[in-house]
Amino acid sequence: MFRQLKKAAGLAAAILATTTMISTAQADAYPEKAITLVVPYGAGGASDLAGRALAETARNYTDGQPVVVVNKTGNGGMSGAKFVTEQKPDGYTLLLSRVGMALYPAVYADSPVGWDAYTFLGILESTPMILAVNANSDIKTIDDLIAKIKDSNGATTYAASGPTAIDGFSVQALLSDVGLDPLTASTLVPYKGGSALAAALLGGHVDFLAIAAGSLMPHIEAGKMRPLMVYSPKRMAALPDVPTAKELGYTQAGQVGGWSGLYAPKDLPADVVAKWTEILGKVATDAQWLDLAAKRGSTSVIGDEDPSAYVKSQFELYNGMAKKFGYIQ
Amino acid sequence: MWNELLYAFDAVATLPNFLAMFAGIWAGVIIGAIPGMTGTMAVTLALPFTFYLPPVTSILLLVALYKGSTYGGSISAILIKTPGTASAACTVLDGYPLARAGKGGKALNMALISSCIGDFISNISLFFLAIPLAAFALRIGPPEFFMLMAFSLTIVASISGRSLVLGIISACLGLLLATVGEDIYGSYRFALSEDMKSGLGMVPVLIGLFALPELIKMVVFRPEENNAALKLGDNRLTLSEFRGSIKSICRGSLIGVVLGAIPGIGPSTAAFFSYSEARRTSKNGDKFGEGELEGVAASESANNGACGATMIPLMALGVPGDVITGVMLGAFMIHGLTPGPLLFQNNIGEVYALFIGILFSSVFLFIAGKVTANAFTKISRIPQTLLLPCILILCVYGIYSIGASPFDVTVLLVMGVVGFLMMLLNIPAAPFLIAFILGPMFEDNMRRSLAISRGDLGVFFQSWISWGFFVLTVLFVVLTIRREWKKWREKRDVANNATSAS
Repeated sequence: MFRQLKKAAGLAAAILATTTMISTAQADAYPEKAITLVVPYGAGGASDLAGRALAETARNYTDGQPVVVVNKTGNGGMSGAKFVTEQKPDGYTLLLSRVGMALYPAVYADSPVGWDAYTFLGILESTPMILAVNANSDIKTIDDLIAKIKDSNGATTYAASGPTAIDGFSVQALLSDVGLDPLTASTLVPYKGGSALAAALLGGHVDFLAIAAGSLMPHIEAGKMRPLMVYSPKRMAALPDVPTAKELGYTQAGQVGGWSGLYAPKDLPADVVAKWTEILGKVATDAQWLDLAAKRGSTSVIGDEDPSAYVKSQFELYNGMAKKFGYIQ
Repeated sequence: MWNELLYAFDAVATLPNFLAMFAGIWAGVIIGAIPGMTGTMAVTLALPFTFYLPPVTSILLLVALYKGSTYGGSISAILIKTPGTASAACTVLDGYPLARAGKGGKALNMALISSCIGDFISNISLFFLAIPLAAFALRIGPPEFFMLMAFSLTIVASISGRSLVLGIISACLGLLLATVGEDIYGSYRFALSEDMKSGLGMVPVLIGLFALPELIKMVVFRPEENNAALKLGDNRLTLSEFRGSIKSICRGSLIGVVLGAIPGIGPSTAAFFSYSEARRTSKNGDKFGEGELEGVAASESANNGACGATMIPLMALGVPGDVITGVMLGAFMIHGLTPGPLLFQNNIGEVYALFIGILFSSVFLFIAGKVTANAFTKISRIPQTLLLPCILILCVYGIYSIGASPFDVTVLLVMGVVGFLMMLLNIPAAPFLIAFILGPMFEDNMRRSLAISRGDLGVFFQSWISWGFFVLTVLFVVLTIRREWKKWREKRDVANNATSAS
């Protein structure tokens, strides 16, 4: 009887040991199944293309495991972000994050997810924004625009996704920089999505806008829109004559800009983090990734920034502006 | 130009291109026919594959999926009263009564022929009218859009069935539910839970409203006769039936082309619009909603007519009107083609190749649609007691697969119960749906217009386009009131005669 029990215990121990061994072996072998990359915005948009480009490139370095893109939209990207933070931190559910993941918690005190509720794996790309007017407009320079805004007493209009969206902040930061009231100096006309915003300017239904370069470049190249200023650390290769906000001395507007990152649920095991650091290192120099980034009008910045410090600084930037503009107390 | 055309024809007439189109259309038809699976899903899933295909082939594949799924929706709409896509919701109104009367095959053939004609007219317009139509679409600003939506809401009068009052009640419910979630300024309405912040999904509402009530009715009332398989009866569409609808088909196609070219409106509104017009002008107008082939023709020609036309603003302006063309914009960009005026200068070869390829889609659509519809007609022979549970499972899985969201399934089930209650009270579901679709566009454009004018109502009367839609709206409302008034007087006279006779 005892012998049998002992035998059973021994067997159990053996099984336990084997499974532990297997599971350590498995951890070493991450990834051993398909990885889901959640894109928190709709298919076909700038973030979706960034996510799909990452998935297509990264799968060459994930030991044969595919990276599957899933669009989980809603609530300004927060639905998808929340979904990812609620998943097991095993490296099989990742988030393609955008500036919204830092911006939303900075503006809404009751945000469903905090800016730091993740494991930050990397900042992938920076996507410049462009301040533009219709090519038929009598506004030729940024000074013309500001003069017109000042003269019009609030009657000029700009298109944006919403007052607290990144393309709303781009304009409000500029207004605040030139000493105007960011909320009343010009009238916001809300549209959903980059193409609807671009169409509003193209049809002459609003006076100006400042949105992601990807949505505007085709129209600028076609001569239908006039770029006045870019929101990016340095001038865009495609628009060498257009000054940046930083150059023009706009301190707040100079820091506004779009970016994509790769996040995972909090407390991701160190070996998975290491694997992704390795994968992203290879993606950074991959010709396909760089080519697709250029086609979207963005610059790959993998490895340039310490992700958590960068995201923190972004959160603080928008949190500061939200307080200053009166969105939160 | 002829040189380029010939060259383009040479470039497009390759086996891979035709294979991609045929496969795309066929897959689209099947996906569209399955409740809950939509063209958007098909196009999104196909996008990564196109990274590895040549540009023209990839766009043709995506276009084919879109066109196929828009037609496919009509199959399930007619046979099982479950519109596979929103644009087929209007086809249910006459298609399902026809199927109940044993004329399902007739309705399917009519849907296929009108879809192909609509598709062809829309392809031709894409070829010849892309630039002027795109220029017209750009002039539709928020005030014009608002007036167009106001006019579109008068459609409610045409799809209300027997009682206009019940139709208006239904539309008001639809407008109310459309306000759930985030508004365009970013504030939340009726956001009782985190999920409700993003509003109610189009597809769960659509399927809950149209498909589920039928199922609940079966469970609650257990009607005996429903258990019998539907008879197929005469399937052939006669020439005279086709002739009777040809006017509605042509008008529907044109409505589809014009509305499709305006970004944001899309095939479902075009279908309802065309149906309303056909009902108003047809000599069989009173029979619409009870199984009139012309109703199916009007709806299906318009949604496929709009389908090709949504490519107009995408290619000529670089402005996609809906999610599907949004995904296509992505596909264009990935291949280094930038839609917009420059496309016609820099890549005219590819543009012609695409146009020529798309022209063939109508033929492929006919073949794929014919075969698939024939296969699906067999569904009618399955007894309802077996069929309906299968539909329920398909609906739930389909809805869940859209966003892997349990909330969508909840919306589906709740809307099913709401739809059932509406059915008991004789409240028609179609006005609810059209109001639900149009509501956000109506509200957003009103608020945009007033933001631009800073509260001045004059903004709505600044262009001839706004005036045009305004006059049409007023005219239509007056006509409807007159019709209702006449109906009421006739009823009163009949009642009076009855009392005086006795």
